[in-house]
Amino acid sequence: MTGERPLLEVRGVAVRFGGLRALDDVGFDVHAGEVLALIGPNGAGKSTLLNVVSGALRADAGEVWLRGERIDGLAAHRINARGLARTFQGAEILRRMTVRENVMAAGAARTGTGVRHGLVGWGPARRALARLERDALEHLEVVGLAHLADTPAAALTAGQQRLLAVARALGTGAELLIFDEPGAGLTTVEKNALAAVIASLRGRGKTVVFVEHDLGLVGQLAERMVVLDHGKVIAVGSPDEVRADRRVIEAYLGNTEIAVARAPARAGTHEAGLLEVEGAAVRYDGLIALDGVTLRVGRREVVALVGANGAGKSTLLKAVAGAVRLAGGRIRFVGEDVAGLAPEERVRLGVGLAPEGRQLFASLTVRDNLAVGRYARVRAAGWRHLVVPAGEQAASLQAAMAEVFGFFPQLRERADQLAGTLSGGEGQMLAIGRALMSRPTLLMLDEPSFGLAPQVAKEILEALPRLTELGISILLVEQNARAALQIAARAYILVNGRIAAEGASAELLADRDIVQTYLGWEGSREEGRGRAAGGPRLAAVK
Amino acid sequence: MIRVGVLALVLAAVWLSGSVYLMNLAVVTALFALPALGLSLLMGYTGQISLGHAALVGLGAYGTAILAQQFGWSPWLTMPVAIAAVMMVAWLIGWLVFRLRGHYLAMATLAFGIIAHVGFVELRDLTGGQDGLSGIPPLAVLGVELITDRAILPVAWIVCVGALVLAENLVRSPAGLAMRTVAESEAVAGSIGIAPDALKRRIMALSGGYAALGGALYAHYLGYISPSPFDVGFSLKLLLMVALGGFAGIWSVLFGVGFVVLTGEALKPFGHYDVVIYGALLVIVMVWCPRGLLAGLELAFQALRRRLRPAAGGAA
Repeated sequence: MTGERPLLEVRGVAVRFGGLRALDDVGFDVHAGEVLALIGPNGAGKSTLLNVVSGALRADAGEVWLRGERIDGLAAHRINARGLARTFQGAEILRRMTVRENVMAAGAARTGTGVRHGLVGWGPARRALARLERDALEHLEVVGLAHLADTPAAALTAGQQRLLAVARALGTGAELLIFDEPGAGLTTVEKNALAAVIASLRGRGKTVVFVEHDLGLVGQLAERMVVLDHGKVIAVGSPDEVRADRRVIEAYLGNTEIAVARAPARAGTHEAGLLEVEGAAVRYDGLIALDGVTLRVGRREVVALVGANGAGKSTLLKAVAGAVRLAGGRIRFVGEDVAGLAPEERVRLGVGLAPEGRQLFASLTVRDNLAVGRYARVRAAGWRHLVVPAGEQAASLQAAMAEVFGFFPQLRERADQLAGTLSGGEGQMLAIGRALMSRPTLLMLDEPSFGLAPQVAKEILEALPRLTELGISILLVEQNARAALQIAARAYILVNGRIAAEGASAELLADRDIVQTYLGWEGSREEGRGRAAGGPRLAAVK
Repeated sequence: MIRVGVLALVLAAVWLSGSVYLMNLAVVTALFALPALGLSLLMGYTGQISLGHAALVGLGAYGTAILAQQFGWSPWLTMPVAIAAVMMVAWLIGWLVFRLRGHYLAMATLAFGIIAHVGFVELRDLTGGQDGLSGIPPLAVLGVELITDRAILPVAWIVCVGALVLAENLVRSPAGLAMRTVAESEAVAGSIGIAPDALKRRIMALSGGYAALGGALYAHYLGYISPSPFDVGFSLKLLLMVALGGFAGIWSVLFGVGFVVLTGEALKPFGHYDVVIYGALLVIVMVWCPRGLLAGLELAFQALRRRLRPAAGGAA
């Protein structure tokens, strides 16, 4: 039993959130000294699994063993004391401390000096502090931040923050390091620096597990991979094995078959498009989310925007809706530059968004949720209409609602039910319906099939092209790329904030190289290797 | 060290001036500084709001007064006993309320403050109700009773500076790093082996000890206590002192306390309406000077200089 036992053992772990099975009988091993990647599409349960292993979340069933000791159910700090350290998505550095203090804090618990020692100005606490200072510098040297030791942590770039998070994990003295999306939003140069550091940790006797969406980075670093989908482990093996695995590709692309006639492609064929995005760039706190994206949606057209998680799809929709600010580029809607327009003014122009995760008002009825969707228009007609919509406003509100009910008859049956009591599919219908209430000319949908059973997702997706008959254009963001490409006339593939490919969706769907492009396997590899073989349909963007 | 020297010089000047008014202000500043320091450790460094600190001060004051009167013990015995008891109470409150965060924590501590105040008023047999307790025996050092401002001033300030030095040691120790980590992110704290809840409870107890020490000294110094100084308004004042100092910075707490004591003098003509002005001040500081009044004024001064400089260059 002893001796050859894996460093970390996960056995039959299950977690439920309400009716959703976030993790279902998940099991895998991590061996001492290896670098293991944990991958899977959005919503696969990776973060949940990480939270269970690190003690942030209690599993409903299953066991986690570290070095032969059972750790599930222990508090996070106790698990850390047993030799497991994790980082967080977005690094979570301690912004009000210096870089050095960030790493010193990681060793504070291990010094065994508490509040009582701290009150005294000499003795154990003083000695422990000096030791922490020395150790911190050593860890900072490992990640190459030693020269910034006395800089305020808030002044670091995004890439440096991730490195600091790694140094902080090292600072706890843990043997098993778990990194949650260490590369998200970093530039290629920053990713390479990070990859070099992670690779060097192996030489220091550390074991590394990391969750990552950039499969290029994964391929570069991981010796073994565990793939999760819908809360289950669907593949375990070397990167090459996993890459060729049919189920992995399906998990990432989706396998919903849609039976519906595509609306014809329009943009680029004639008149100026409805929506024109030119070289749009967005940064979050130094992280690059969008990097020069150019995209068009024509009138009465269905356009899909697909890409792996973290590629920047939602960010683009938010930029169009006015929820995030552009760092560069331009967005024109019906020929008008929308740069200076507030989100509600864009709604009045005809931009509608059904956001990711639906964002319904759970304690309002279906009818009231829909009415809220018309707020911007009603408010524009004068505030008295907010109290009691009168005359034309009342009529158009009723008309819009009738139209939504006509489109989704199920919502009419549930009109007076609270939105929080709807099923997932009905909730999604309501989210779309609410966006339709403002009578948009462009409807943007963010992951409408997320979290839905395949049959329900199919139903909703199949309904979408009918909206074009009402004169509405659709910009569809979908993780379920296969389904999205079957609905849309044209599609754009977004990889790491850039458009990697665009074209008619039928052709994109038929192109096998697209699969690899979409997955981003080639992302961080050297240029020129298999990349140019994309063929004519891979209309490279300048 | 320089700061201790400057402080000692100022206090010596006050003491030698012989002005009862100035000495009284100095003593009050020291007595307020103790609970404010405790609150700064809890709020500024550990990130946990408390709107009930006045109650802890009150418990310290009533505790030592009741023990001294009921059992006739020396204040030198009743004070440590009362402080230890309040630290235990604070620890228990921490155990109860630190499962809450943000607004909820604020409301829970506020409720505790109100409950304690109601207790001071209504438990007449023990606390004397609205009339309060009088005839609390004074502290005595080497046979000298600390009744006059002149006598209590050095003692109060030695205690205060002692508390300040201890607090400063703490925030510079590994435990201080742990406190600052908890203040920024409990999730991160857990991930690096720090037990946030245990640490918060310990700091709450320590903070309660500081508050109780201030209250106990106050009771023996005045010889009379009533419920009204320990109401929610005083919690608000403590909050303002810490906020003016900039939440994080042990010495800047003294600045905040001094500022509030002096404005308090200026606001005397307003009577009970001073609370309104304190409230407005708190809002202003929170919104425009989140790093404290000193830091805020410094920023404003720099901005002014930047604005004036190009104008000066144009004139030349």
